[in-house]
Amino acid sequence: MVAWSSTVLERNVTVINRLGLHARASSKLVQLLSSYRAQAFLAARGREVNAKSIMGVMLLAAAQGSTLTLRIDGEDELAAMDAAVALFERYFDEGG
Amino acid sequence: MRRFLHAQGASRGLALGRARVRHSQVFDVAIESISASAIEGEIERLHLAFDVARSELMDMRQKLQGVLAHELGEFLDLHNLILDDPELLHGLDDLIRKANYSADYALRLQRDRLASIFDGIDDPYMRSRREDLDHVIGRVHAALHRNPGSDVIGLAGDVLVADAIAPSELAQLTERGVVAVITSQGSALSHSAILARSLHLPLVVGAHEAHMKIADGDALLVDGASGEIIIEPDAEDLRQFKRMQRETARERKALQRLRDAETITLDGTTIRLFANAESREDVAQAYELGASGVGLYRTEFLFLQGREPPDEEQQFLAYRDLVMGMRGRPVTLRTLDLGADKADSAGICVQGEPNPALGVRGIRLSLAQPGLFRAQMRALLRASAYGKMNILVPMVSCREEVLAVRQLMSHCRDELHAENHAIAKQVNLGIMIEVPAAALALPQLAYDSDFLSVGTNDLVQYLLAMDRGNEALASANSPLHPAVLRVLLDILKFGRKRGIPVAICGEMAGDPLFTRLLLGLGLREFSLHPSNLLELRRRIREVNLVDCQRLCRRLLRARDRSQLEALIHQGNHG
Repeated sequence: MVAWSSTVLERNVTVINRLGLHARASSKLVQLLSSYRAQAFLAARGREVNAKSIMGVMLLAAAQGSTLTLRIDGEDELAAMDAAVALFERYFDEGG
Repeated sequence: MRRFLHAQGASRGLALGRARVRHSQVFDVAIESISASAIEGEIERLHLAFDVARSELMDMRQKLQGVLAHELGEFLDLHNLILDDPELLHGLDDLIRKANYSADYALRLQRDRLASIFDGIDDPYMRSRREDLDHVIGRVHAALHRNPGSDVIGLAGDVLVADAIAPSELAQLTERGVVAVITSQGSALSHSAILARSLHLPLVVGAHEAHMKIADGDALLVDGASGEIIIEPDAEDLRQFKRMQRETARERKALQRLRDAETITLDGTTIRLFANAESREDVAQAYELGASGVGLYRTEFLFLQGREPPDEEQQFLAYRDLVMGMRGRPVTLRTLDLGADKADSAGICVQGEPNPALGVRGIRLSLAQPGLFRAQMRALLRASAYGKMNILVPMVSCREEVLAVRQLMSHCRDELHAENHAIAKQVNLGIMIEVPAAALALPQLAYDSDFLSVGTNDLVQYLLAMDRGNEALASANSPLHPAVLRVLLDILKFGRKRGIPVAICGEMAGDPLFTRLLLGLGLREFSLHPSNLLELRRRIREVNLVDCQRLCRRLLRARDRSQLEALIHQGNHG
């Protein structure tokens, strides 16, 4: 088992739910990432925000169809990344 | 000195009280520096204020019950997350530590910085999240200045004057005895306004000059219907207020006497008033007010409360309570009416629909989820043994759907018989008329239906192709359209000819403005929220059917909305 790498884990995620990263979806993402120890950042259109900050995430105003870069760094980064990507793919559990 | 302020009425009711102006000062706190030795204490004071705000929100969350819990819970969760936002907190500490600012000024700077970013967002929905930020910062600021015995929220007899009011605060306000609320921003369409109306708390919104004209301690006379505010009313105003108050009290008493009265027009036609109900409280109220029965029970609220859809047993118990609560009066339960546009914590709806209003919703969703629908049908049939029950199917657009429900019903009936469950001999099956196709194909659809219920909210939305939730269309999105009246007339005529009962259960049925029109069109069964029931009964007891029919003929000849509006207002006052 490999311990967490010193490099930052990075993945592109696409916002597929209909309402985009609105308040409810942002809340879910922030709550999820806050339960991990790793640091998390979300970048879009040249802006990077702390993905554990509700206002940071909401202020990205990412609409349906936009692509974001998720960077996670810390000992539980793999689990955090998997969980976050799954949340995007599940339409934030909100039925589109 | 007596002054006037005119704004927009958002929740009716008259109130006299003492002005309590709420701290919009958070937004113009002057620059304030502190000494280096005070820094750590100041940071601690700030963190303490955050803790207070957090526990206040937690308290509120725990007090919420029923439908409110679901709707407001989401706001409160968001506010909690904002309070815990690491960027917000960290930035604030830095402002105090590095720039020697006071906690108040740091809070103001941070709020201004974030607000300006929110203001720059193109998406109007996200831009309006700034209000959430303001509510949270306002709460923290209030906690910084909390003296025992006084509060931002106001005390008994106060009229709260604020920039805006959060839906979550309203329940607390009425609990404290605050008599009215005036906000400088906001609209009558907001969530807060809807909530204020259901709490019977007078609310005036959009009073831009409120903070300039009203000072703490001013006596205020507020009319939540017209949006009139009198600051420091004179003797004549007070006499008039007393008179109106007496009138309102008299009216309320007269309404109470109507509890046991028949719902009958002056010329002797009996009208049946049913209640729309969502909770057991609604059902109890409906029974007490002498409703003929429950005309619409929305089962989806059961499904919105948890993470999992309720199972057959849970549903059975809820439906049985409801049926027994009406003690033999008929109860019409509508099967699950969910669509992807409604909050769906149980994850039942189809995901990723581009246009949920035209998507897999209502009966379409139920038929797409046979296991779920079967459990509901079994629960309903089992509850039918405890009273008189009708089953109503939403969003029907073609005959195949009605047949599929009939088939499921008889299948479940056989199953339950085999399992030795009691079921009522007769359970009527009716359909909602809310899709234009259903209204136009009545002879084909109604062949398999025992009764019809017209959902005017959706029928109007689909007939006019106007989204109910679109504020820009709000004024045009009204039943006062020649096409709507024509369709309603045809449905009612059809029902009379075939001997099929027709009820209307949309907002329109409970609005006294439309009572004469609907009576004139031939409606004899109204289903409405119990809070309007007595008023409607009084109205019906004051009219002659012949006059209603005359008004109706004139309305049907009207060419446009302005003519319709003029006629209907005339008809109601003349």
